Amino acid sequence: MPRIAPALSPPFSRPPSRIAIRRVNRYEADLSALLFETLREFDLPVRDKTVLLKPNLVGLDPLGMMNTHPAVIAAARETFLRMGASEVLIGDGPAMDRDTQAVLESIRLREYAGPLSRIFVDLNIDAVERVELKTRASRFKELYFPKTVRGVDFLVSLPKLKTHHWAGVTLSLKNMFGVVPGGCYGWPKNILHWAGIDRAILDINAAVRPDFAIVDGIIGMEGNGPIQGQPKPCGVMVCGDDPVAVDATCSRVMGLLPEKIKYLAQAGTLLGHIQEEKIRQLGESIESTCTPFAVLEAFCHLRRNASGPVWNLNCL
Amino acid sequence: MHSTPAAPDQSAAANGIDVASFVPKTCLAYLRDAQNDDGGWGFTQGLESRVEPTAWCVLALHEFSEGPGVNEAAARGFGYLERTQLPDGSWPATPGQEQGSWTTAPACWALLAHREQAHERLDRGLNWLLQTTPADASRWWRFVRRLAARRSVSSQSDQLYGWSWTQGTASWVEPTAYALIVLCRGPEKLLSNDARKRISIAQKLLLDRMCPGGGWNCGNPMVYGVAGEPQVVPTVWALLALRNSGTNEYRKSLDWLEANRGNVQSLASLALTKIGLDALGRSDPNLDNSLAASFRDKDISVVNVPAIAWTALAMSSKRNWLKLTMPGETS
Repeated sequence: MPRIAPALSPPFSRPPSRIAIRRVNRYEADLSALLFETLREFDLPVRDKTVLLKPNLVGLDPLGMMNTHPAVIAAARETFLRMGASEVLIGDGPAMDRDTQAVLESIRLREYAGPLSRIFVDLNIDAVERVELKTRASRFKELYFPKTVRGVDFLVSLPKLKTHHWAGVTLSLKNMFGVVPGGCYGWPKNILHWAGIDRAILDINAAVRPDFAIVDGIIGMEGNGPIQGQPKPCGVMVCGDDPVAVDATCSRVMGLLPEKIKYLAQAGTLLGHIQEEKIRQLGESIESTCTPFAVLEAFCHLRRNASGPVWNLNCL
Repeated sequence: MHSTPAAPDQSAAANGIDVASFVPKTCLAYLRDAQNDDGGWGFTQGLESRVEPTAWCVLALHEFSEGPGVNEAAARGFGYLERTQLPDGSWPATPGQEQGSWTTAPACWALLAHREQAHERLDRGLNWLLQTTPADASRWWRFVRRLAARRSVSSQSDQLYGWSWTQGTASWVEPTAYALIVLCRGPEKLLSNDARKRISIAQKLLLDRMCPGGGWNCGNPMVYGVAGEPQVVPTVWALLALRNSGTNEYRKSLDWLEANRGNVQSLASLALTKIGLDALGRSDPNLDNSLAASFRDKDISVVNVPAIAWTALAMSSKRNWLKLTMPGETS
């Protein structure tokens, strides 16, 4: 593993993280009720606040395979409104396609969340501000971020449970790549790849600090994710007040070892907890929901069980 | 799969749309209202001015240089582009950035509309494009790639390069297409043998990055043996950049664009589909109505300025913006 010596000022310190795993097998289920019941336990400070939901909208997805499902996005929005938030925005900056409207139409978000013109923010083309980076995990001294992301009271990362062909997994931390504006860096935001994906993930999450994470693991993606993998029914939603702990828990649900995932291991020393003893577990157990995801051969070392599934490219 | 053959048939009459007055009364009026005091445009109305949306707006307004305030708005936009050019001849993606970016090509394109006044600025912009290489053009990068070839995830050629979105990164389809389009309109004097070679390599890169079934996405035609899905936006710009190539790849991609037109659901992609099909000889009259109807949709979730500028350009029957050249041009 390349040596990264990032630091945060003030240093990372937080109480044990709280995580909830909820079992849900269908997008047609009453996700709003389930989320409301789950999030109430966290006593989140969102009353009269502005909340931004950051789903994972990668690209055109008429088959609903790669993006956060619109039913989950809509249910999360309804839940935060029910919890007293004054405004709940949805925002993302798709990485691979600059036509965000086409992406939204392809997943039919409007049908689930209602008219989008006042609640959706295309983070690729939002107003931006230059932010000095505290971590310096990558070579970046600064990055531009959307003013909407910096200005909201409460930021929620809302990814899909997926493997990733370069980073191992893409969950709530990697999802924050979407807040880096394409209008400054292009489509894709290739500057992040050249800086090192693992390092860039740390810098971005230290700068924008999502307050909460809700992972759509009802149907995830395994193998050659985040775009060209295969759907993987997993039947869970994972929520928590520490995105690092949420991602560590999701990795375990996927049958993977979080401490072997480069950026997650580093995030565990900088931004949140990955050790199980520092994560207070609510809802279902990891063991009862564990659904091993097939990984590319390059990521076999991430598997908790050496006989876990490997993605076979030849079967395509 | 993209198999729907026909464009959406939304008749103008049924939608109460007067296509003839659509551009001046709707598109150009929107663009005039969205112009900032500094003469530029943001990506959406009310946001800080940026180079790229300003370039598209200048082209759109210049195309329809009639009507109240149109010429004046275009001139103010031109002034914004003049003021934001960096000392090395390039343009940044956002104010405050000190490095040039992909926006240099659209900015040069827009200056072609004012070429008599902008000659010197254009030369500097085009020279910057010719002298700037992406990171994947470096020998070091190719050496590393060769070492890592065993783990290669893609099938694309490492010997080819075009232009990147931002400096110090790799070649991608859209910035390469923009650069090719403007360089092929530039004056002959700029095109040394080295420059011609550079252009030729970039054209080959576009052909190399085509998706197996035709069309382009951002530049990943195949990852781990899985074919990438083409997208409208990069496909149209790549086709315009390769319009004289006559290659099988070009024809296959034009076929894809034509076959895909019934699947297009957004304003930007619809406008670019029409631009591509009209310019390349596959016009579909239904697209005028589809475009106007799409614009009228009251819940266009992400109305952005480039999409509206492209819509205006798509509705131009003259298509002068695609013919703009410098004296002594080579296209």
